[in-house]
Amino acid sequence: MILAFVLAWQVGLAATVPALSRRLGRNVGYPLAAGYAVAAALLLTRLPAILDDDVVQISWRWLPSLDVSAALRMDALSLIFALVVLGVGGLIMAYTPRYLSGSGQHITLYVSLTLFAGAMLGLVFANDLLLLFVFWELTSILSFVLIGQNQPAATRPAVHALLVTSGGGLALLAGFVILMVSLGTSDISRILAQPERLASGPAAAASALILLAVFTKSAQVPFHFWLPGAMIAITPVSAYLHAATMVKAGIYLAMRFSALFGDRRPWSIALIGVGLATAVLGAFLALRQHDLKALLAYSTVSQLGLLIGVIGVGTPESDAAAILYTVAHALFKATLFMLVGIIDHEAGSRDLRELSGLRREMPVTSTMTALAAMSLAGLPPTIGFVGKEAIFEALSEAPGGVWLSWTGTALAVLASVLTFAYAARLVYGVFAGPPRQRGLYEPSWSFLAPAAVAAVAATVAGPLVGLLGPLVVRAANNARPQGEPAELAFWHGFTVALLLSALTVVFGMLLFTFRTRTDRMFLEAPTARPFVSYFDRGYGWLLGFGDRVAAMARAEGPAPFLIMPLLAVLLLGAAATALVGPVSRPPGSLTRPGDLVVLALLVMVIGGLVVARSLLATISLTGLVGLILSVWFVTVGAPDVAVTLLLVEVLTTIVMMLVLRQRPGEPVRRERARPSGAAAVLAAGVGVIAAAGTAALTGRRELSLPARYYLERAEPVTGGHNIVNVILVDFRALDTLGEAVVLSVVALGLAAVLDTAGATGRARAGPPDADLVFGFAYRVLAPVMLLISAYLFARGHEEVGGGFIGALVAGTAVGLGHLAHAGSSVPPLGWLRGRPLLVSGLLLSLTVGLAPVVVGRPFLAPGKLPLPGPLSLSSGVLFDLGVYLMVLALVVSAVRRLGSPGGRRTEAPS
Amino acid sequence: MTGILVVLPVVGPLLAAAALLAWPARPLLRRVTGLAVSGLVFVTAICLLAVVRSGTVLTVRIGGWAAVVAIRFAVDVFTGLMLCAVALVVLGCLASAAGTGQDRHPFFVPLALVLAAGANGALLTVDLFNLFVLIEVMLVPSYVLLALRGQARDVRAGRVYVATNLLASTLLLAGVGLLYGVHGSVQLNELVGAARESSRVAAAGGVVLVALAVKSAVVPVHAWLPRSYSEAPPVVVALFSGLLTKVGLYALIRVFAVLYGGSADHQWVIGAAALASMLVGVLGAVGEHSMRRVLSFHMVSQIGYVLLGLALFTHESLAAAIFYLVQYILVKTALFLCTAAVHADRGTDRLVALGGLAMTRPVLAAAFAGAALSLAGLPPFSGFLAKFLLIKAAAAGGAWVAVAVALGVSLLTLTSMLKVWGSVFWGLPGAARPAATGWRPQAWATLPALTLAVATLLLGLAGQQLLILSEAAATGLTNPTEYLAAVLR
Amino acid sequence: MTAAALLVGLLTAAGVFLVLRGSQLRLIIGFILLGHAVNVLLLSAGVLRWRVPAFADGGLDRADPLPQAFTLTAIVISFGITIYLLGLLRTGGAEASVIEPDPADDDGPTNRPTEVRDRDET
Repeated sequence: MILAFVLAWQVGLAATVPALSRRLGRNVGYPLAAGYAVAAALLLTRLPAILDDDVVQISWRWLPSLDVSAALRMDALSLIFALVVLGVGGLIMAYTPRYLSGSGQHITLYVSLTLFAGAMLGLVFANDLLLLFVFWELTSILSFVLIGQNQPAATRPAVHALLVTSGGGLALLAGFVILMVSLGTSDISRILAQPERLASGPAAAASALILLAVFTKSAQVPFHFWLPGAMIAITPVSAYLHAATMVKAGIYLAMRFSALFGDRRPWSIALIGVGLATAVLGAFLALRQHDLKALLAYSTVSQLGLLIGVIGVGTPESDAAAILYTVAHALFKATLFMLVGIIDHEAGSRDLRELSGLRREMPVTSTMTALAAMSLAGLPPTIGFVGKEAIFEALSEAPGGVWLSWTGTALAVLASVLTFAYAARLVYGVFAGPPRQRGLYEPSWSFLAPAAVAAVAATVAGPLVGLLGPLVVRAANNARPQGEPAELAFWHGFTVALLLSALTVVFGMLLFTFRTRTDRMFLEAPTARPFVSYFDRGYGWLLGFGDRVAAMARAEGPAPFLIMPLLAVLLLGAAATALVGPVSRPPGSLTRPGDLVVLALLVMVIGGLVVARSLLATISLTGLVGLILSVWFVTVGAPDVAVTLLLVEVLTTIVMMLVLRQRPGEPVRRERARPSGAAAVLAAGVGVIAAAGTAALTGRRELSLPARYYLERAEPVTGGHNIVNVILVDFRALDTLGEAVVLSVVALGLAAVLDTAGATGRARAGPPDADLVFGFAYRVLAPVMLLISAYLFARGHEEVGGGFIGALVAGTAVGLGHLAHAGSSVPPLGWLRGRPLLVSGLLLSLTVGLAPVVVGRPFLAPGKLPLPGPLSLSSGVLFDLGVYLMVLALVVSAVRRLGSPGGRRTEAPS
Repeated sequence: MTGILVVLPVVGPLLAAAALLAWPARPLLRRVTGLAVSGLVFVTAICLLAVVRSGTVLTVRIGGWAAVVAIRFAVDVFTGLMLCAVALVVLGCLASAAGTGQDRHPFFVPLALVLAAGANGALLTVDLFNLFVLIEVMLVPSYVLLALRGQARDVRAGRVYVATNLLASTLLLAGVGLLYGVHGSVQLNELVGAARESSRVAAAGGVVLVALAVKSAVVPVHAWLPRSYSEAPPVVVALFSGLLTKVGLYALIRVFAVLYGGSADHQWVIGAAALASMLVGVLGAVGEHSMRRVLSFHMVSQIGYVLLGLALFTHESLAAAIFYLVQYILVKTALFLCTAAVHADRGTDRLVALGGLAMTRPVLAAAFAGAALSLAGLPPFSGFLAKFLLIKAAAAGGAWVAVAVALGVSLLTLTSMLKVWGSVFWGLPGAARPAATGWRPQAWATLPALTLAVATLLLGLAGQQLLILSEAAATGLTNPTEYLAAVLR
Repeated sequence: MTAAALLVGLLTAAGVFLVLRGSQLRLIIGFILLGHAVNVLLLSAGVLRWRVPAFADGGLDRADPLPQAFTLTAIVISFGITIYLLGLLRTGGAEASVIEPDPADDDGPTNRPTEVRDRDET
């Protein structure tokens, strides 16, 4: 419970920041520091139990169906990391108010820092792989926010940091998924307790992926470059996230999973190799820095490398050393960052070349810096000395052969020598020498105190290391249950480690003394920049490549976008041909002589259509194709289809003429066709596939069940004689409703598009002369057509006809009127408006459909509407009337909108 | 009672649209009506989900005709989930359109409602020809919405959109016809496993799948989507993104599961398309230069993730795919609504012209950040759980290539979202000035996006409910007997 | 290969060819032809062995009415869409290639990557 409480406490603290900040401004850091201390104290209440090899744990069901729970668990290892997080966090919180300027917004900073602390605690407490991962990524995200906020130049480093760490995070996820899938659980303590359950294949993959996460998070070569970049963040962030805590998440992970992978040699070798290489490289790079923050950043990289390397050794002593040095490093490195922040704040610079002689004006700062630097350099009596001793000892006694232990030790000593040199350079460069600046003062005690506390703590912890001992030993046992390491002590006697420490000091002093000579050498060596620039080059290449991929979707005109779907059809056709193989001959004769006539006619007409250049010819031939097909539809026993198609063709042609009439330049202009070779090939291919598909997949079965039902039962059930019409109006009324809605929307669309777009067709010079003959014929024809329309509508259920056909006939009458009157005068039926028709049709159909629902019958169920007397009206007729109105609405809208002279319509929208 | 609930998602919006057209209403009344009806549909969807979550399937025979001929609507858990998500999207888009003033056109709300009705119907129907009709009911309003601003550029982008969808619809219809030709039925319940048993059905079904793939913008038939979505009004894009391609995807999953379910011969095709979509989509997104285009390419990429779950076709992977799809609809809508707010604010969504919005619009920035992280699959957002489920399912199935691609694409997704974030929300304020209309976005423009972003956070923190529902939905796909039994009732 | 299948193939090939050839009107006509192709396909799906119109008293060899109903619906829908496309012809969008983006509108098309550089790249 206490663990959950501490997490909730952190979130609660973050939640109070905005309110507190309104009253306290930047000083909100102080209550937060107190809050951190409370959390730490709460955790410490469990110290006795932890030392007793007990654990504190709690678990809730989170995703039971995945067997994933929100499980928290604290053992000694977790406790140490949690104390580092809260302890250093508290100091940083107390440091931040004075660091910040009095004005400005600090809410995001404080909220993010506090949430970050919570995420770190969650990370070290998590006892479920998924939960651990969640917190792991949260730290990356919050780090991104903390690095990048407030200044444009910080965006790039923030992006680097997030991409590198979350890249590692994804590797971690993959590793965890492998563990979950192969072990069937995500409970960390159960997984760690039985390393032998993991087969070697998954183990190798999972360990490699987890190592990737460790290396990215803890800034190991070659992923280290994000850490120096992240130094663009303000100092409290650098001190807390990028020195003391977030980068330690990798250390924690490596230690935690040593219990699972520690016995595997590749795991050890990778940790030792990468870690010590990073230690040397980081220290070397640190030595070349003039910017104190950059120096500390590379120093952090180097020290993290050392830690990683030691974890790889895998003895109880090495684990203890790593844990101790983790604490030591958090203490002294956070201190150094804070002090550099103070120097920067007071002297206005953190460049070694500009700073000098600060010891006179800032004696306390100098002393504290010197103490922390001693820890860094590994000088007695600091905790840094004890920690480094332990590391040397662990490395020199590393199992796995003399070769390994000696190489490892040598590299560690080399890194330490370099570390000594840059630590000395830091202290000497800033504080010694002649003072250059005037008017510097020691900062206020409130600014200095947090750093001073940490510096002193790092110093006195050396002799008092015995106090830490039991907890560290317990934690080492948690990391790898393989027996108790030797107790930690300040003084081990004259051992190899002490000799190595002495060597470090001697060589470090030499390096420092001859720094002018060595600097020249160092500066000529390749720099860290390659890593950043490789990353940037890769990033730029990626953007460019993406741009090329995206370019596919930038073509003009529809044709380029139709090619892929058509190719997909070709591919599908080829695959289907291969899969289906030869098909049987269909029974009976599917082809009649008349079909062939139609086919021959169509070949000619379509041939003409394809090569036609003039628009008029194109339109006429298109109409002709429809006409011929109508005839064919009659021959296959589909009179309704035939009549509908015929009317549709007529109307389409009318509308085309109306549209093109408004574009007088157009009909004579010959369209330039695009190169047609490829199009022809593709078209022929798709045509062949279509024909083959139709031939292979149709015509072979018996009458389908629904067809049999319709033919036998449709009339008894509905009373309708024309089965096709009955299907449309009754059985599949929903389809019909849908298509009527489509037409209504088109009618709306025409009104909307043509009203808002300002049709670009140019009006003719004057009102055209109405064609007298045409006009007269029309006046005679129109009433007849309307009568026919009504008749066709009325008999729909029995014979060819119905709402669609009736409305199309009426629509044709309206359309002809517009053609005849050429838009000059109001034609007969010109009073018809699209929208009222549409709305009344839609409402009528929907009402008819919904009426049965009111009485508990299904939507669109048939029924009779009683009329006065013996009469009644079937719901089907009303529904069909609605459809009729909607179809008419479209035709009326189309001829009115498209048939009117160009330009913005001025009359009220209909 | 359930009968009316099942048809309400279709009939309600249609009726409201008709009413709004009948009485030329004030903008406020239009807004209120639109939101009220969409809210009603959302509540209906929740009710339906509550009814079917135990595994029962609700069906309605439209018109009450005999089983062999009636068009049927059916609701199982998958349908219910999708109806909820779609209703949320419609609500969010209408609210955002009101907030950014994009619903000024008197036809906007009616058209959006018809579109929603079509989408809901397409989710509900069991009849493939009816599916075609309802998809048209959904598409035709979208054609009009694209051109509603009446700008030449819209019409041009609209032409690509209309042409591609028209081709896809033609293909869909051809496929349905061929299925009828081979099998004598177009009802899904009659077609269970048919493609596994007959290669001719498989070929006919393949035509349907290709058509649906075009509509869902699966690579390699995807290019139309970024081309046309990137130039449409942002709220309209949000609506399209949440409804159109997702309905296509839903239909694709449903048809594949019913016809081909568990047929290894066909799964690899889906798998290959899935991986290609993930990669091509994300690369395009990384390379793009405006928010809408980046997000449009992400649609392609995310569709790949969902298809991956379908391709693996285990219970686990299908549950993952459904979880992914549902939460992703909300995430992507949130992102597009953020874009709409940015566009309303600054008059553009080109990355190079924007910057520094995190300072001026912190709430909008937070909403975007949440949704973007969710899209990239980072915790604690729902996108993370979705990706985790999918990766776990892939790993359990031994599909290591898929695991690697999914993770790599996730990182690239993050890369592109960081690019957007860095250009739009951080950095120096860009050259874009506030929109020329002088209209200032208000809280209303941000609120819908924020709500959806909070929803993705909550689904990430407490995803168990959605997970249970997704698993139930997956059961409906892997084991369609209950679905069928109910349909036959 | 049946005549109907050949019809489908012919109409499809011609439709695809016209659709791919750029101009807006040809695109529309192409889709009209593709619509015809599908209609023929739908009717053949009803097996063209039976060709007697499907009235209630037609006796044997009556055609399958369901594909006819499908076809009718399809015809009407494509009619609607054709009309809409013709309506779009009337708008400015028809002259796509000659209209330059309005420089005052910052929302211009992003199809010129050389112009639009991301600051990330620099």
